[in-house]
Amino acid sequence: MHAMLRAIEYHLPENVVSTSDLSLQFPDWSVEKIAAKTGIGSRHIAKPEECASDLAVAAAQKLFSSGACRPQDIDYVLLCTQSPDYFLPTTACLMQDRLGIPTTAGALDFNLGSSGYVYGLGLSEGLISSGQASRLLLLTAETYSKFLNSRDRSVRTIFGDAAAATLLTATDVREPLLGPFIYGTNGEGGPNLIVPTGGSRRPRTNCSAKEAEDENGNVRSADNLFMSGPDIFNFTLSAVPESVERLLAKSGRTIGDVDLFVFHQANQSILDHLRKRLKIPAEKFYVFMKDSGNTASSTIPIALKSARDEGRLSEGSLIMLVGFGPGYSWGATFLRSAGIL
Amino acid sequence: MTRKEFLSSVDEMLELPPGTLNGPEKLEDFQLWDSTAMVTFMALADSNNGARIAPRELGSCETVDDLLRVARVGM
Repeated sequence: MHAMLRAIEYHLPENVVSTSDLSLQFPDWSVEKIAAKTGIGSRHIAKPEECASDLAVAAAQKLFSSGACRPQDIDYVLLCTQSPDYFLPTTACLMQDRLGIPTTAGALDFNLGSSGYVYGLGLSEGLISSGQASRLLLLTAETYSKFLNSRDRSVRTIFGDAAAATLLTATDVREPLLGPFIYGTNGEGGPNLIVPTGGSRRPRTNCSAKEAEDENGNVRSADNLFMSGPDIFNFTLSAVPESVERLLAKSGRTIGDVDLFVFHQANQSILDHLRKRLKIPAEKFYVFMKDSGNTASSTIPIALKSARDEGRLSEGSLIMLVGFGPGYSWGATFLRSAGIL
Repeated sequence: MTRKEFLSSVDEMLELPPGTLNGPEKLEDFQLWDSTAMVTFMALADSNNGARIAPRELGSCETVDDLLRVARVGM
């Protein structure tokens, strides 16, 4: 048995922050120009009382309403999030109850950012091929907006909130539809994309909430998300081409064998640069983030769903997925389009 | 990419009229020289000169000439 990706649905919060909204807040800054570079025109932002799990519940309910499966069919829930409801209990456990999934189901959270979807698919294939699960709900959900300082232009233009729900089922096929997988980790890069406080290492205090302005005029405190754009760019430039080469070598394929490339939708300029560097034809490189922004672990499933809806996938299409994000953490795999996707 | 072409690209990046920059200009005088511009410059250097610039090295640049030096642009 192997995992087959059966369906994807996603949910974006109602509240939208457009680039013109940001222009009003930062009149001395060329936000329109930034929008052209990031490829993001608007991002959806959760309400103060709206958690990542609420977005994930909405995405999962959309999946159930679509007829792809029923809650009672699910026997395993994986939730990828860096914005859980609590330190404990596990948010995926709370979601089992909210979604009406049987108490016989397994459920766990895993904490990864934009590499999370590829890791989630890897875990799903492992759980299904080993017979531990047969109908698995893979959820990705983030509300990074809650970590952002409203006066930090460097991140407010990029990140949006979202959740995606993916159904994977056991299928009797000879060749796996997912994989092979390659992974990478380099904790040395941890400080370059981080929310420094709030965990055990550095609890939040009045002192950590003190805001300071950086050399570029961005304001944030240690309680907010910090991203070193130049460091992240260099990491991406090292990790992504190497991952693509490793995956191609491991699978015995070439760039020409791939029908569609779906990378983590970090921002337009990084994606453009990677595409050119890897000599991937533009028509095979899928970009979808204009109206949702960088939604961390949800960008790949959102893009896949969109590609499918636009008719960019046909039965048997070979899709390369590459995720990369905080940690540093990265991973890549192949997905063979079959069935509904 | 020649020095002239690089200067022209940095003009465009900083939203300056073509031909504005000559090299000795101080980066701190340009409001648009921020982390986003740094990433754009790193991409430019990588694409056109195969130069991978360390962010720390870029952060130590004070003038446009310094940028061209770390991007290994021929004089």
